[in-house]
Amino acid sequence: MAYEALDFYDIDSLLTDEERMIRDVVRDWVEERILPNIEDACREGVFPDEWRAEIGEMGILGAPLKGYGCPGLSYTAYGLICRELERGDSGVRSFASVQGSLVMYPIWDFGSEEQKEKYLPRMASGELVGCFGLTEPDYGSNPGDMLTKAEDRGDYFLLNGAKMWITNGTIADLAVVWAKLDGVIRGFIVEKEDEGFTAPEMKGKHSLKASITSELVFQDCKIPKDRILPDVRGLRGPFSCLNNARFGISWGAVGAAQSCFNSAKEYALSRIQFGHPIASFQLVQNKLSWMLREITKGQLLAYHLGKKKDDGTWIPEQISLAKMNNVDMALEIARMSRDIHGANGILDEYPVMRHMANLESVKTYEGTHDIHNLILGRHITGIQSFTREP
Amino acid sequence: MDVVIISEAGNESLHPVTAQLVGASSSIGGKISVICPGGIGSSEAAMIAGVSKVISVEGDCFASYDCMAWCNAILPFIDGDLVMTSSSAIGREISAAIAAKKDFPVVQDITSLNDGISVSRSIFSGKAIEEVGVSLPCALSVRANTFQPAEGGGNAEITTINVSQEVSVAVKEALAKAGERLDVAEANIVISGGRGMGDPSNFSHLYDVAEEIGAAVGASRAAVDTWEEIPHSMQVGQTGKTVTPSLYIAVGISGAIQHLAGMRSSKYILAINKDPEAPIFGVADYGIVATWEESIPALKEHLSAVMSD
Amino acid sequence: MGVAVLLKQVPDTTAKISVSGSRVDESAITKWSISPYDEYALESAIALKESGADELVAITCGPQRASKCLTEAAAVGADRLIHIVTDADFMDSCTVQSILSSAIERSECDIVLCGKQAADTNSGSTGPGVASLLGYSCVGSVTEVSMDGGKLSATRLGATGLERIEVSGPCLLTFDKGEVELRRPNVRGIMMAKKKPIESIGVEDLGIEIGSPRASLQSHSSPPDKPPGQKFEGAGSIEVVVGKLRDEANVI
Ligand SMILES: Cc1cc2nc3c(=O)[nH]c(=O)nc-3n(C[C@H](O)[C@H](O)[C@H](O)COP(=O)(O)OP(=O)(O)OC[C@H]3O[C@@H](n4cnc5c(N)ncnc54)[C@H](O)[C@@H]3O)c2cc1C
Ligand SMILES: Cc1cc2nc3c(=O)[nH]c(=O)nc-3n(C[C@H](O)[C@H](O)[C@H](O)COP(=O)(O)OP(=O)(O)OC[C@H]3O[C@@H](n4cnc5c(N)ncnc54)[C@H](O)[C@@H]3O)c2cc1C
Repeated sequence: MAYEALDFYDIDSLLTDEERMIRDVVRDWVEERILPNIEDACREGVFPDEWRAEIGEMGILGAPLKGYGCPGLSYTAYGLICRELERGDSGVRSFASVQGSLVMYPIWDFGSEEQKEKYLPRMASGELVGCFGLTEPDYGSNPGDMLTKAEDRGDYFLLNGAKMWITNGTIADLAVVWAKLDGVIRGFIVEKEDEGFTAPEMKGKHSLKASITSELVFQDCKIPKDRILPDVRGLRGPFSCLNNARFGISWGAVGAAQSCFNSAKEYALSRIQFGHPIASFQLVQNKLSWMLREITKGQLLAYHLGKKKDDGTWIPEQISLAKMNNVDMALEIARMSRDIHGANGILDEYPVMRHMANLESVKTYEGTHDIHNLILGRHITGIQSFTREP
Repeated sequence: MDVVIISEAGNESLHPVTAQLVGASSSIGGKISVICPGGIGSSEAAMIAGVSKVISVEGDCFASYDCMAWCNAILPFIDGDLVMTSSSAIGREISAAIAAKKDFPVVQDITSLNDGISVSRSIFSGKAIEEVGVSLPCALSVRANTFQPAEGGGNAEITTINVSQEVSVAVKEALAKAGERLDVAEANIVISGGRGMGDPSNFSHLYDVAEEIGAAVGASRAAVDTWEEIPHSMQVGQTGKTVTPSLYIAVGISGAIQHLAGMRSSKYILAINKDPEAPIFGVADYGIVATWEESIPALKEHLSAVMSD
Repeated sequence: MGVAVLLKQVPDTTAKISVSGSRVDESAITKWSISPYDEYALESAIALKESGADELVAITCGPQRASKCLTEAAAVGADRLIHIVTDADFMDSCTVQSILSSAIERSECDIVLCGKQAADTNSGSTGPGVASLLGYSCVGSVTEVSMDGGKLSATRLGATGLERIEVSGPCLLTFDKGEVELRRPNVRGIMMAKKKPIESIGVEDLGIEIGSPRASLQSHSSPPDKPPGQKFEGAGSIEVVVGKLRDEANVI
């Protein structure tokens, strides 16, 4: 049966023809390549290399960036790409988010001309994979206190420290690493072969199993002087990357929710208990109608935010709201859908438990749900409450 | 109004559809002549009741199929207001090409024909029926087995004409026989076996039937899971392939909801199961309560009889 | 040497078709696509272009919405796009074929590719009919084609199985589904396609005379409901059931 994406308010009609075509290309690819293979990939804990190559061929990496071989699409198109990928699996969307928003974007915005020429075209085509190192074992929600540091040794920088929970780490050809140079956070490009750099994989995840997560370890890691991102200092660097990635997540979560909704609806219509399809019971209908309602709101939120991104009229708090709301609703829908599937819901025959487990990570990374609440709280009251210090 | 039927050949003799074309056109009246491209089946055509003339057009150009060469070769002998072919691939091409050459409209794959002339045919893969009025002269291709064949016992005069016609399509080599191991998702007919087949080796009986009717062989999940010999690529159902053939034959399959999810949109479903209570009968258009051991040989025999007449 | 590919926009094969007031309700069709066999023709046309054909011209005839087919063709490599715009809800074969053949003449292509039949009407008249009007040779049910000097070498599904044929001179090939994999457009192709102009022309601009229609649509109707399921006891009923499969269900 052809996939019919839930679109209760016909948001489709607001898209341009190219946006629809791009969406269809990604949707068909997910249908042909991800859905039949995702469970195997999860079981083996791999992100198949063909997926990297094919995502590159589609030309969707670094979607909203212009020039240097990047696609130069609207933020709405970028959102649609994330939504379709995440309807397949959050891990696949994570791969694209990290590559585009967390690695290509800072090079594009803060890098030197040489850095842009060197990395961006090959990253847009998927030939090079990147990762983004901000989180550390002891510093997650407050990266400002990070320990990783860089020293200027005249001819080169010397990097020491460790990053943790780094998506794509082990398969990456380059890492954008945030470290303190003379007490100020700066971005550095570390290449796979650099001396003193290793990226061991973290195993044993119950979530995002088809996405690679790694540690990045720097032990007297020497990197050439031209690998510092010249144009940014302080937390603004990593945070501006996160804004773009969070925007993509607000769309992606809708895709995961649509997938869970479809599965729940089909299952409820075909599962017969007490002599009737369970879809005919009011409690089940209540759940389905709640899902419809939440997905529709989430879609409108994401769509409008895309327009604001394109116009440049957005503020980061709006992105926080969208990321937080949409991931929250998707996670709730995944759980509810799992429930409607009864025991079948725990099987890998249905996508729901996988989405549910994935979304737990999505809720945590790119700013936890709580952190986004604090961001909004500060916005409303003018009082920060991240820390007890004034 | 005169009718010209271009005969269909099958296996070096006249295909039975030709008699059906005669049957279909006899309701409209007029003189009926049959043209036999390459002369195949001309003596059989002469014996169809109602045929007044058979033209056997022969020549080197008929050695292999070249649509334009064939049409150009028979074109001078087409003298009528209504040209009819079968709706096989070749039949359609010929009626379309002849129609264009004679500036006739053409309507393909008709399933009913009324005076006037209005014809009806199925469109959108059977999801709707279209009724079209056509003015004469015109060309029509007719779906096989929708019209009563004309009877035998005729005795038409056969005129043999030798033509020479340039060909531009040359067959260089035969590559493969048609219909080898079709994929269930593609096939027009699917025959699937379930756990009730008892043993994977018994699937060979299903392959025998499949060969008879150009079907693909599928399986239920229980069959795929139980027997290594039955690959997952054959599985029909929610976690296998979704199929929508015109005919789905389920043998020894109970009809679990997950299996139904993959095949219930088939146009017609035939179920063979020994348990009269099996849920598969709830979706079957034709249900046969019997074991496969008794039914499959009979099925093969009767299908092969139908296919060859 | 130019290659033309004829593309028809049809309701997606998964679309629900409903009939209201003796016409198929087009407004209820949510997804329109290039007819599947035409997609194989398009794929092979791109392959021919890659192996040296000068220009790939995509041609469609249909209402405004059909221009989407051309943009999709441009996204995978069509160079020139011709849309003959017509709002007629039904055209007889003579009309369609004369429109398309004059569009092909305008494109100056001497190799023409199209699907063996369109997924809506399933007729299969267009290819051979257009070939006849143009005086081209015609090869049906092709699954693969390659250019070999001045000749085309093609694999076709003949009556006895797959065969390799050669055809010389101007020709029209109709395509069936084969082993060939369809390429996916990529974002760059889509963005370039957006900029490619579509030559949008009316039937009157082709300078052809369209006579009064000689076939007309009288009605659409829903297929008759299937008879309710019938159950038979024992293997002795097989003969009867096989007869029904043939005469009632018409599936064998
Ligand atoms: C699969 C996966 C992939 C990841 N990929 C990357 C990557 O590619 N690059 C990267 O740099 N990082 C990555 N991360 C790390 C992610 O960004 C962090 O996990 C996240 O920022 C939270 O940090 P933490 O895990 O240390 O949790 P903590 O910050 O320790 O938070 C623990 C809990 O405390 C709450 N909390 C913390 N502070 C406050 C407060 N002030 N008030 C109220 N509640 C608070 C949090 O909301 C949370 O519930 C990834 C994580 C995962 C799970
Ligand atoms: C999440 C999930 C996904 C699933 N996906 C699929 C799927 O994609 N496809 C699928 O098929 N199943 C699927 N299933 C399995 C499904 O629920 C059934 O278990 C399966 O379809 C049963 O296969 P069966 O009909 O061959 O076997 P059974 O249910 O064991 O039925 C065998 C039938 O054969 C009949 N029989 C026995 N002997 C003979 C004989 N000699 N002659 C004639 N009839 C005989 C019996 O009367 C019985 O009706 C799935 C299940 C789950 C939980």
